[in-house]
Amino acid sequence: MKMLILKMLHGVKTASVRLSRQYTSKAKRSVLLQDQKKVKNYEPKTSDAHTNRVYVWGFQETGALGLQTNVKKAKERYTEMVHHPTRLQFSNNNEITDVTAGYGFTVYAVKRSDGQTLFGSGLNTDSQLGFQVKGNKKDPANLDVIIYPTAIQLPREQGETDEDMQVRCMSAGRAHLVVVTQNGTVFTMGHNAYGQCGRSIIEDEVYTGSSLIHRIAQTDICGAEDEIVAVECGQDHTMLLTKLGRVYSCGWGADGQTGQGNYYSAGQLTLVGGDIEKERIVRIACASDCVLALNEHGDVFGWGNSEYGQLDDSPDAAPQICTPRALQLTKGIGKVKDVAAGGSFCMALNDQGLVYTWGYGILGFGPFVEQTSKPQHLLPPLFGRNDFSNATTVVSIGCGVFHMGAINSDGDLFMWGKNRFGHLGVGHKKDQFFPFKAAINGKVLKVAYGVDHTIALCRPHL
Amino acid sequence: MALTKVYDAATVFKHLNGIINVYKPAGIKVKHVRNAILSNICKGLNELEQREPRRLPKSRLLLGTGTAADTVLHKIAKDTDLSDHILAAGPRYMPDDIRCAAVASLGRHTSGVLLLGLNNGLKQSSLIQRNRPVRVYHVTARMGTATENHLPDSHVTVRANNRHVTAERISGLASSMQASHQRKMYELCGVDLQTQAAYELACKGLLRPADNSQPVVYGIKLIHFERPHFTLELHTINESEQYMAALVHDMAIELRTVAHCSQLRCIRHAHFDVTDSLLRHGWHLPGIVRNMRQQRDVLEAHPQLLEQQRVDLHAAPQ
Repeated sequence: MKMLILKMLHGVKTASVRLSRQYTSKAKRSVLLQDQKKVKNYEPKTSDAHTNRVYVWGFQETGALGLQTNVKKAKERYTEMVHHPTRLQFSNNNEITDVTAGYGFTVYAVKRSDGQTLFGSGLNTDSQLGFQVKGNKKDPANLDVIIYPTAIQLPREQGETDEDMQVRCMSAGRAHLVVVTQNGTVFTMGHNAYGQCGRSIIEDEVYTGSSLIHRIAQTDICGAEDEIVAVECGQDHTMLLTKLGRVYSCGWGADGQTGQGNYYSAGQLTLVGGDIEKERIVRIACASDCVLALNEHGDVFGWGNSEYGQLDDSPDAAPQICTPRALQLTKGIGKVKDVAAGGSFCMALNDQGLVYTWGYGILGFGPFVEQTSKPQHLLPPLFGRNDFSNATTVVSIGCGVFHMGAINSDGDLFMWGKNRFGHLGVGHKKDQFFPFKAAINGKVLKVAYGVDHTIALCRPHL
Repeated sequence: MALTKVYDAATVFKHLNGIINVYKPAGIKVKHVRNAILSNICKGLNELEQREPRRLPKSRLLLGTGTAADTVLHKIAKDTDLSDHILAAGPRYMPDDIRCAAVASLGRHTSGVLLLGLNNGLKQSSLIQRNRPVRVYHVTARMGTATENHLPDSHVTVRANNRHVTAERISGLASSMQASHQRKMYELCGVDLQTQAAYELACKGLLRPADNSQPVVYGIKLIHFERPHFTLELHTINESEQYMAALVHDMAIELRTVAHCSQLRCIRHAHFDVTDSLLRHGWHLPGIVRNMRQQRDVLEAHPQLLEQQRVDLHAAPQ
């Protein structure tokens, strides 16, 4: 009896196995029978210590992109340009807090444990990246081109710590660099033929291979109760903005870009007067020789080159303005939040997130519009606003000498303008006549617009 | 004219022209949905009042040869053509009698809105298809395991941790991917970027693709996050199940984990919403006829579904 029951149970068991097989296809059975223990574990590096990453594109032959590590390869023809935004290896190993682009060189503000705070790559013809030696220290010949970011040694005084030497703000011009550190010291280096380094002009000074870095204390410029919050370099001049909204300038003044009321070059940082004397300026913008300034109430002021009617569109307007004046052009566009000035055009962003452009060049209104004297706004759909993301607005704008860019609230960068050496990053050398999104894997925080290259500081998605 | 109740199969069949919106369950193919619908329609029609078998013609030369006493022949002569009787000819309506085509197909793992054109509705269905309206999907991904075809019914290839993934990170990535896909749209609508035409198109915002060769994603939005699952809302044209599954997989790689697609649901196809969709228990003749009437109202309210001239696109589906 017992045996029989056992036999029956056995029979039931085999029957049930057979039954389940009948109802399972071969493909499904193979999935069900998969040994889950043998599945591999994927462990990508998730916690990147360096939160910011940098994307670079444009002209590479100057070394400004810092992508190459081999001098021989950097000289080859096919490495001349980088058409697409490319991630900078240097940013993987270093925590980059700020970037700025000059004419053919780039400077990075870096947080490091070894005390170095400033790195640069690119052209060093006028020692704008400090005194750099070739790989072999015994050969002190200066490198004209630095292909990979190299430390720029800022001269320290007794008792200055690494923390003091962290970069507060910096800017680069055609061939000079101005850096303001946390303790308020201004360092200038590079070309000083027009006094743009804030020191007196020396006749026949040789800038190549020069190890001279000029150092100015903050208190010598603006006194003890004020401090420098921003620096902006044009082509060959320098402007410093303080917390109380004052502007100090020096350098080339042939187009009135120093705003000193004259057209001379000056090597002494001097307070800028004119219409901005009583105003609290919060932002200044300049790429070459036309300067825009913004006060806390959203009014725009300007000085410098106005050959294309950027600052004054009246028929008898002077082509150069050497004293800051409140712009009549931007009166109708509401409260301005951000400004940018390029070589022949200007941009403004108002509090509704509309981008206005005017002047001469590729203004973003298609291939037929080359010049407008009145500011006109670009339509929001061009900056990613559509029915699927209807709250998107532009939050910041900027421009180089030949191209413009805008960052929207989703962290996307849109660029348009002349495509010199592929510095729009759209993948070809053709000009772009309306804002087009740059393909960057990250949220763009800040963009440095060079004359033939572009650098974007981004936060990764994860 | 007052509404009258119809008991007649022929009248019902005559009016069985239009679009129906069926809720396709996951796990079965569109072909099987179609077969089920058609056989249910036929079943319903065959249960209604059928037409009488045909009458035989009065003068039948064939019967001249029979004898006068042949009662069978007499009966036939009096009555009907027995070869046309249901018992001889079979049911009046067969699935092959109804023409039926889907506006756009759904994959096997996808559930949700499936539009079927019936009989003369095929014309409308091909017009809608040619307009390439946007379909909206809710795609659920399961993080932690990757599978061979990125769908749940295949071999697990790799496992990963997902503790570091947060809702903010996913939605940040989603908005960035959305912007990149929208950029791709210029290439697909076939204009030269350096022209005035391209600028004018760009000012309009979103553009529809010129052909149905490439999938375009217009919107990606995170709508639900509950580890290890997250759900995305996708607005797409020309998509396929495999494409969306691969998109989820790529997204997970970008989030430093792996994932496969555990659910796909089409919640809207143009103006045809999932709430009007006919569930499986409603796949009978009265339900289908009622649904067809609802969809006719939708088509009347949105005539642009059938005739579309614009190239620009708006989130309220065309």
